[in-house]
Amino acid sequence: MALLAPYSKIPELNTATILLVENEEKVQSKLADAIVQREKDVNVNVRLACKLPLPVENSETRPRVDLVVFIVNLLSERSLQVVENSLNHLRSDFFLGKVCFMVTDARCGALAQERLLSVKKLAASHRCPVICAEHQTEDGISMAASRLLTVLKVSAGLSPVATTALYLSTLTRCTVPSELDED
Amino acid sequence: MANVSNLPGLASDASRELLESSSSGLNSRSLRVAENVRKKGETNQFQLALSYLSNVQEGTVVRGNDELERNLVVVETVALCHGLPPDAISLLLDLALSLRAGGVTCLRILKFLIPASVVPQEAIVRCVSWLCVGKMTINAQVLFLRWVLTVFDLIDCKDQLRSIYGFIFSFVTEENLCPFICHLLYLLTMKEHVQPYRVRKLMDIQAKMGRQPFLMQLLAVYKVFRPELVTLSVPSRMRTGFKNYNSTWKAALSAVQKKNRPEVMADLNLSVELKGKSTSRKRKLHHLEVPGLNSAFGTNSERKVFRLQELRSFTQLLQNIHNIELPAQMGSLLGSSLALHYLDCVQDESAFLRLNFWLGHSLQEEFLLCPEDGGSDSLSEASAFLSTILSSQQFLQEGFFSTESFLYKFLSVWDGSLLRSQILDLLSHIPLMSSHYIRMLVFEPLIQLYFTSNVFFKCSVIECLNSMLLKWLTWHSVNPLMECLDLSVNSSTVTMTLSGFIDTVTELVSFVGRLATEGLRLENCHILLLNHTLNFYETVCDMLVKYGLPLVVMPPAGVFYPALLATDSLTVDRLGYIMYRYRKNLTLAKKQEQQNEQAFHISRTTYQDFNKQLVAMVSCLWNSKSFLPGTNNEIDEHLLIQSKVPKYWSRFDLVHHPAFFKYAIEFHQKCWPERTCVDLASIKVGRYWSWYMEFLFCQGFDGLNDFIQVNTGQGSSSSSS
Repeated sequence: MALLAPYSKIPELNTATILLVENEEKVQSKLADAIVQREKDVNVNVRLACKLPLPVENSETRPRVDLVVFIVNLLSERSLQVVENSLNHLRSDFFLGKVCFMVTDARCGALAQERLLSVKKLAASHRCPVICAEHQTEDGISMAASRLLTVLKVSAGLSPVATTALYLSTLTRCTVPSELDED
Repeated sequence: MANVSNLPGLASDASRELLESSSSGLNSRSLRVAENVRKKGETNQFQLALSYLSNVQEGTVVRGNDELERNLVVVETVALCHGLPPDAISLLLDLALSLRAGGVTCLRILKFLIPASVVPQEAIVRCVSWLCVGKMTINAQVLFLRWVLTVFDLIDCKDQLRSIYGFIFSFVTEENLCPFICHLLYLLTMKEHVQPYRVRKLMDIQAKMGRQPFLMQLLAVYKVFRPELVTLSVPSRMRTGFKNYNSTWKAALSAVQKKNRPEVMADLNLSVELKGKSTSRKRKLHHLEVPGLNSAFGTNSERKVFRLQELRSFTQLLQNIHNIELPAQMGSLLGSSLALHYLDCVQDESAFLRLNFWLGHSLQEEFLLCPEDGGSDSLSEASAFLSTILSSQQFLQEGFFSTESFLYKFLSVWDGSLLRSQILDLLSHIPLMSSHYIRMLVFEPLIQLYFTSNVFFKCSVIECLNSMLLKWLTWHSVNPLMECLDLSVNSSTVTMTLSGFIDTVTELVSFVGRLATEGLRLENCHILLLNHTLNFYETVCDMLVKYGLPLVVMPPAGVFYPALLATDSLTVDRLGYIMYRYRKNLTLAKKQEQQNEQAFHISRTTYQDFNKQLVAMVSCLWNSKSFLPGTNNEIDEHLLIQSKVPKYWSRFDLVHHPAFFKYAIEFHQKCWPERTCVDLASIKVGRYWSWYMEFLFCQGFDGLNDFIQVNTGQGSSSSSS
């Protein structure tokens, strides 16, 4: 099975492509709209998928993917499982700053907290950032979109200052909260 | 009737108004009558049902008893709709707990027992006696206790309940009831209840069940009242000890209370609270609000106490400060400034403990375990709540530790926009902690948020950290004890030595240094971010002179050079001021070191760093020698030649610096109005140079003036003070 690779294609001029992977397809489209509407300076392609691997038939016409975002809904067990399985279909050089996790419903009870911890562990072991999103409000979606764009612009090489995706990821990557004795 | 008032244009304005008002009066009166009639019918039915239920005898058949069922349904509907009056509560509780109508009915009644106003304490006392009989199933007992905990604040007074403290305590040994009993005891405990044998009992149970949070909470209260009896060490930051037990009734209870609010509040209204707004709110009652002040004792209480809600003025507070009784629900203290004054003067440990418990519970519930609704109403409520906490904290000038531990949890799930200003404000109030903890609890989550967010978020984070540092420094400067800084943060006493304090501050300063360096790079030296960073360093550079903290930390190169080479004059001016203050601080440090053997030295590398930056700045601005080999900001010559900038070494002196270019041109025009071609180099010659300096300093560049005066001996004396 072909792995998705970040450098196998030539980038298009002034264009960034982001791939949103979400099993439930609940937040995806809202987020995609927000991302596209927010960015005025560069062309942003948003691709949606519910899981990896991506279908083989379009692989020729598909643009180069600059950032893969896994959206995990913490209220569903399945969501995390799908993401875990999808991770195997990415080439390892994606993990040099071109993968990002986004979690929703992080503030919904103890179960969500436990899952959040496992997402964080997963992200930390892959050196990826975790972004929490408030997907129920307009502001939350637009904040999430703007944060994704910040990461995307760097990973697509569009940042005006020489900052690489790898460099940014050393600053933003998730760390597993070590066990605290009291809190 | 309404038609009369609508006759067009015939009546004059005044008379129409009169008509309108009279008709509306009539209207509402007739409505009221109809309502009353309807209500009466309902009430009659309800009364009949109640009287039937009160006559249910022991051994009544429950299965297939239609009459019982019918009456129960009537009462249930009223209860869920309007709530039950006190006497009905008392009657139904008696019926349920006596098991006259069987165990199933008992559970059912308990589930719809929603009080409309208050719960008479006699009823609860009687129920405790039924509990002692021991016929009820464990399920029913647990349900009953959970109900009591839910309605605890609605119990009219608690003195009798307190007098049967011993009876209630005896249930602590029941394993299933223990968490609930502990919670109830926690709410009831007074100083006289803390007895050696009770402490022993609790310790025994703890030995058996392990360090259960509910036991720890109760023991913590015991320790507050009688520290000599409880030898156990209680962790300062405790997990919230009691789980949320009231979920069964919460929705119904809050709905009913909301409906009845105007009547209930009428006799409990106070002058000192900030209530008002909640009565007018139309939406369902949110549990996230500051409750009204409400006494734990009834007016018939024999104790001679002064209740907080009776306070009207500060003088009253002063006269009665020795026998003030705390309200039933500690959260209500937040709403009243008099109550906060009291809390501040008395430093009552138990009050702080209870307040923190309540706060932690509400915050946890609302923000970390919130149900899925993101309405803007609840958001504005939440922000008002956080603002209340914030203003209380500002009033007391210390943070609550429950808010603090909430913040640490919240930071890890924060999206960076939800209630941003409140969260960051609260964050700036966190007390000192060891550098290890602050790195783990605050800096780690913050750094991930910071680097994925936009420049405005970055600015507010730096601003927040600046005000955090300011608060710590102020705290330090008002605590003259140098060797051992006693930081009593509410009830948890953290003892931190001066070196620990310095460690934490160093950690904070270097953290901001990292954030600023990388942030400025990512945001292409955004002017706003640069100025927020300089704000922070304005605090940092004066730590010794202003706050007496023997610590000087220089800004990293990633902050210093962008500020020095900035394109706006204000930034350069501020940098000048900062360097001037650094010099003052370091001079003082040197003097102190020579005079007496100080335990804390400023390290030599700090002096070296300062000197390097000073030389770089002077040679750049004053001597026109930037980027030359041998200087600190040396750049490879070939690169500079490639850039094809003529005389690159003088491009950043005070004449050619992009920030001051405009002033140089203006000065040039004033000096030589007849010249057509501008030759800025001529400003540097002879007396023109000092005139130019004077000209610059007249534009209000005081920071630069101080810097140049101190470091070169030149400058305008007129604008310096």
